[in-house]
Amino acid sequence: MAFFFDLLVNGLMIGSMYALVAMGFVLIYKATSVINFAQGELVMFGGYIAAAMVSLYHLPLAVAVPVLLGSMVVLGFALERGVLRPLVGRNVISVVMVTIGLAQVFQGLAAMVWGAATINMPLPIRLEPYIVWEVFISPINLVAAVASAGFLVAFAYFFRKSRMGIAMRAVANDQQAAMAVGINVRLIFALSWAIAGLAAGIGGIVWGNMLGVDTHLALVGLKVFPAVILGGLDSVPGAVLGGLIIGAVESVAAGYVDPYVGGGTKDFVPYVLMIVVLMIRPYGFLGREIIERV
Amino acid sequence: MINRECGVYQTTYEGDMALYPVPLARYAALGGVVVLFLIPLVADSHQMAIVNLIALASIGAIGLNILVGYTGQVSLGHGAFMMVGSYTAAILTTRYGVPFWLGLPAGGAVAAAVGTFFGIPSLRIKGLYLAIATLAAQFIIEWTINHSPWISGGAQSTIYTPTPTFLGWPINTEYRRYYMILPVGVIAYVAALNLVRSRIGRAFIAVRDRDVAAQIIGVDIFRYKLLAFAVSSFYAGVAGALWTYYLKIANYEHFTLVTSVQYLAMIIIGGLGSVLGSVLGAVFITMLPIVLVYVVEGVAALFGFAYASIADFLANLRLIIFGGLIILFLTIEPEGLYRMWGNVKRYFRLWPFSY
Amino acid sequence: MRTKRWLATILTGAVLSVTAVAAEADHAIKVGGQCDRTGATKLIGVEICPGVTDYIALVNKKGGVLGHKLEYTEVEHGYTVDRGVEAYERLKRDGAVAVLDYGTPIVYALTPRHMEDKIPAITPGFGRADSIDGTVWPYIFPMAASYWSQTGAALKYIKDNGAKRGAKVAYLYFDNPAGREGIPMMEVVAKKEGYELRLFAVPSPGLEMGPQVIDITRRMRADWVVAHLFGRSPSVSIKEFKKAGFPLNRVVSLVWGAGEADAEAAGWDVSQGYLGLQYTSVGRNLPVIQEIIQKIYRDDGKEVPKYVGGVYHARGVFIGAVLAEGVRLAIQNHGLPVTGDKVRQGYEAIKNFDLAGFLPPMTVTPQDHEGGGWVRVYQVKGTEWVPVSDWIRGYREEVMGLVKQANKK
Repeated sequence: MAFFFDLLVNGLMIGSMYALVAMGFVLIYKATSVINFAQGELVMFGGYIAAAMVSLYHLPLAVAVPVLLGSMVVLGFALERGVLRPLVGRNVISVVMVTIGLAQVFQGLAAMVWGAATINMPLPIRLEPYIVWEVFISPINLVAAVASAGFLVAFAYFFRKSRMGIAMRAVANDQQAAMAVGINVRLIFALSWAIAGLAAGIGGIVWGNMLGVDTHLALVGLKVFPAVILGGLDSVPGAVLGGLIIGAVESVAAGYVDPYVGGGTKDFVPYVLMIVVLMIRPYGFLGREIIERV
Repeated sequence: MINRECGVYQTTYEGDMALYPVPLARYAALGGVVVLFLIPLVADSHQMAIVNLIALASIGAIGLNILVGYTGQVSLGHGAFMMVGSYTAAILTTRYGVPFWLGLPAGGAVAAAVGTFFGIPSLRIKGLYLAIATLAAQFIIEWTINHSPWISGGAQSTIYTPTPTFLGWPINTEYRRYYMILPVGVIAYVAALNLVRSRIGRAFIAVRDRDVAAQIIGVDIFRYKLLAFAVSSFYAGVAGALWTYYLKIANYEHFTLVTSVQYLAMIIIGGLGSVLGSVLGAVFITMLPIVLVYVVEGVAALFGFAYASIADFLANLRLIIFGGLIILFLTIEPEGLYRMWGNVKRYFRLWPFSY
Repeated sequence: MRTKRWLATILTGAVLSVTAVAAEADHAIKVGGQCDRTGATKLIGVEICPGVTDYIALVNKKGGVLGHKLEYTEVEHGYTVDRGVEAYERLKRDGAVAVLDYGTPIVYALTPRHMEDKIPAITPGFGRADSIDGTVWPYIFPMAASYWSQTGAALKYIKDNGAKRGAKVAYLYFDNPAGREGIPMMEVVAKKEGYELRLFAVPSPGLEMGPQVIDITRRMRADWVVAHLFGRSPSVSIKEFKKAGFPLNRVVSLVWGAGEADAEAAGWDVSQGYLGLQYTSVGRNLPVIQEIIQKIYRDDGKEVPKYVGGVYHARGVFIGAVLAEGVRLAIQNHGLPVTGDKVRQGYEAIKNFDLAGFLPPMTVTPQDHEGGGWVRVYQVKGTEWVPVSDWIRGYREEVMGLVKQANKK
């Protein structure tokens, strides 16, 4: 039984890291209707910047983190302006392919600038686990989970209570009406990309620490899809819920099912789950029923 | 001056409905096919290998274009369907001794069945959701093949096939392989052209453009969507089976998500909704890494850099250019190379009077 | 726009051929290989490939192989099969007489072509273990411990360090054909020694193995782990083991998880005690590495890159050395012009080749294309890998038995 809890706790903590990346994705989709296939690459870039500063230039973490967050915000703005703005209104596949193309460019660029080796992203937290009631908890996963959760809570507060946040919700709800009441929609677009960049940056630090930073870090972005489908493509709390569920299910399934099928369950259970949800409840657990059914 | 329709009058229905009603176009197409058959006379083995790769890619790309370009269903699982065809052909040939010209359609048929199955979600969802469902298909199929020893032939997930033979001749040089691939490619091309001009093709286009209106006038969109998946997967399966016979090996690592993305890039750059565009896109994407290597090496030699010092740069440059080109094409010329080719033709139609 | 591109290609091709003709000695012997600088194993590729070119440059600087210069062409393939095939065809067209096949899936895909074209391939430390038997696979040469031999050696080390009947051994592997190669050997030896064996697959791309490591540490409570991971995964596995509390000095990694890059990516301080196998010696104070540093870098005024003297670069040097030695024996025993078949015979004539202590003395025969299958166990101490054993190999009979069995099919 302890094994089950080991897996569950571990999975939930990883799930909160998924939630962080998923949240960025959903935010962009909600505010600008763009499906960002390059979310993983944003995480990768964030990871690279942070890891390069800490491991290659030996800057202390206290300097690295603000610089990272700042650069990610700038990157978000730049992406929105430079790449996505020209594609407003095009069909789904165009935008999907542009973000895929962007992903390739990022990968090549990152490898060119920082080299092909995997860079370590160390955090000053001990690695050995704590054992609490026979369940082992890894401090570093715990900190990552707490950081993700903290960001999500802060963001939820911002979204609900602050003026900017309310403006964002208005734009996500109905762009034309928001414009009609005088909200600067372009600013909101830029802001949502910036915040997604921020989320990706934090994601880059925590994922980079867990997996090491190199171009493969972008693959985290693929896991985002089951999470957001589960939670609902246009629901931020849904993204969080989806991330947690995927993390937990993956972990438990891999632990118990792997020995019988020779491994690899982690890869394909989230997608099976996703297809099931797509068939039964395509708009996810917390999404709104506005997706076009056929 | 090159106004091709001058003096061409059709007096029969067949003439009007022909694939190339204009004689000039017809002879050009036939001439093109003849040239294709004669390429091995001037190309060496390495160039033949490249041409073979292009031909293989074209078949897959045409299939994907039928699904994505003509029917509007975004699919990220093309690589997986090719994998199905590839393993089917390998299993049939190694375990049951099926010759390659039966293995190809068999691979296509099985892939079509699998594709239809994974097209079922299109009943309920569209757009991004369907794309993600096909992404899931890619992973699930890959995992299933990888982990079923009956399919994958053991821990290596690799099946060797013996050299395919045709009427007793072993097909073991690039030239012979070309003659194995080319007929399939020509048939695939012509079949696709005819398909999209037919009733079925029109139904596909209707589903892409205005599916609700199509349903109202009586086009059963679910059936046609499934058909699109089936046809596209058939092409993918045949392409995958050809890969098996070309490489004499079936291995899942050839058909990963990266492959699916590459095929999507091919049809987008080549032109969505155009069969010729698929081929152009296939040529472009296949040649890109090769040409890039030659160009950069040439430039480096000019400036005196050794290959070793720029190898890393070159390899990553390829990725950047690949992604950059996709973005460029999508922003500047969304209809791809096919449109550019059409522009050239249009220009010369009225040349030298271009107004 | 397409015409412009073709024009550019033709132009550069012309320039290139002019420069090539101008620069080349007329009897350079051509060899070649693929390299992965952008794909799943680029971490390794960017250090190995320079190692190959460094050694070949050294040979050429010292006058070449029996007076003939060697020309090594590297073609990047991103660890994908279709590009690997195209790379091989290009090398073949350019007249290569011996190649390095980079990557186990590429070896499998190209094996039929090597046999037909009679161009030998070397696959040191990876590839297909059944090609040890050169009578069945005359043109494929593992040249260094194959995965079966590596697994055997790892298991011998485990036995020598306290594993008894009933010990629990876990095999953590990358879920692809290369990773699965070790399974038959693990099963055979586990049965012989009475170990309790469990297999744990890490799905591609090898980034996530949390549940597997938790299982190994907490549920199975393994005594030893034999890890066959490569690319990104070794560093992730080190961190995961540390996080789960599994002692790293009970983890033995096969050769591709035992590089500086892996320990560095995980953090040297984190990786202390981690064990790994090597098939060459490691370090800068080896004569051949010193020569490379001096002649290739310092003499030309170039800065010595960090990875020179490291694990993967050393393996590149090994590859270059084997290629050169094969060509040398081909010329010596069979004369010019060099063909692929002669190089094959040259390879099979390699005897007691050890590059001044760089390698275990290697002898290749038609029955043993592996050269003996010797490895050394190294451990992470401080910020480097230090040897903790001599050249060993283990369970040789079981390895050869598996080879015979595999080739019977």
